[in-house]
Amino acid sequence: MTLQGMIVVNLFGLVLLFWVFNLVRRGRLYVGYGVIFVIAILASVVLLSVPWLLTFVTHLIGAIFPVSALTLLALCFLVLMLLYTLSQLTIVSNRLAKLVQELAIERTQLEARQSAPATHLRETARPDGV
Amino acid sequence: MGPMTGNDRRILIAIPAYNEAGTIAAVVDRVRSSLPDCDLLVVNDGSGDATEQILKERRVTIATHLCNLGYGRAIQTAIMCAIKGGYDALITLDADGQHKPEQLQDLLHEFEASPCDVLIGSRYIASGNYRGAPLGRRVGMQLFSFLVRLFAGQRVYDTSSGLKIMRRTVFDPLTHWHFVDFHSEVIVYLMRLGYRVQEFPVTMGERTQGRSMYTLINHFKYPLKTSMLVVLGIIQAGLTRRRQQS
Repeated sequence: MTLQGMIVVNLFGLVLLFWVFNLVRRGRLYVGYGVIFVIAILASVVLLSVPWLLTFVTHLIGAIFPVSALTLLALCFLVLMLLYTLSQLTIVSNRLAKLVQELAIERTQLEARQSAPATHLRETARPDGV
Repeated sequence: MGPMTGNDRRILIAIPAYNEAGTIAAVVDRVRSSLPDCDLLVVNDGSGDATEQILKERRVTIATHLCNLGYGRAIQTAIMCAIKGGYDALITLDADGQHKPEQLQDLLHEFEASPCDVLIGSRYIASGNYRGAPLGRRVGMQLFSFLVRLFAGQRVYDTSSGLKIMRRTVFDPLTHWHFVDFHSEVIVYLMRLGYRVQEFPVTMGERTQGRSMYTLINHFKYPLKTSMLVVLGIIQAGLTRRRQQS
């Protein structure tokens, strides 16, 4: 990589790092996710700034050109992150659904108690006695 | 669990409803007149129309989801209500008016007389085929009926029927795992856990109002999603059984 390319990569890495730290500081990114991105950014910057390391990794994963190795690594990272993000989204979604269900049941029971104190869903199901 | 006696039974009828303002009033009235001894609960799954208002006017017990969680979650809420209320059985039917509440009495009699844990109101068991059903549904029914037979060893003709009676024995397993539509995945899961599932012939009408949950995309998504859940259900049931044995 040329000197100009290295400067661009390092600057871009610095901007990303600053953004990640700022997001974590303001509570907009969970610190665990922040750590993942900090590690990924640092690893990318090091890999792109040290030519022999990039060549070594290219040989290690069986690629011919360094750019192919970088693309593969980037894709792997993106897929892993996407899967992890969707998994976290599902967990949060399940928690939300559980809360909504519990709230619905509690409100039903509360309304049943209010309409007929000390009775049960069975007795209050049809207060009109139909 | 053996057959229930008629006097000490406590049965909850649950109707999951999502934007069914056009049909819910008639369904509720017909259910009440068909089974006046049973309690009625409508799970309002985040409807944006007048469904809740109509139910309040009729003084129906409602469990309202603040947002739409889907059919499976609505049924699970009904099961959780049945557990908290100490009910012996839960009847579920759709709010779109396709199920005929007048048939509930017969379904209940059959359920009380049989030792099964889940009784499904089936459109197809009487004829033994899917004649009359639209092509897409017919193919889907045959596929899932085949899957149930393959993995659970018993033919179930109407795997997607929303008209079911469940004994309290199945309440617990049905709230401890996630289901999407409560169709074949639930049938296979329960049968692999050793519960008995049977069918009883019923007739159903066509939807006249509201929108079906089976959109064009769902015709492709549903079989894939349900097939995956069937396979996962088998694994989960196996793990559960092993845990129970050890």
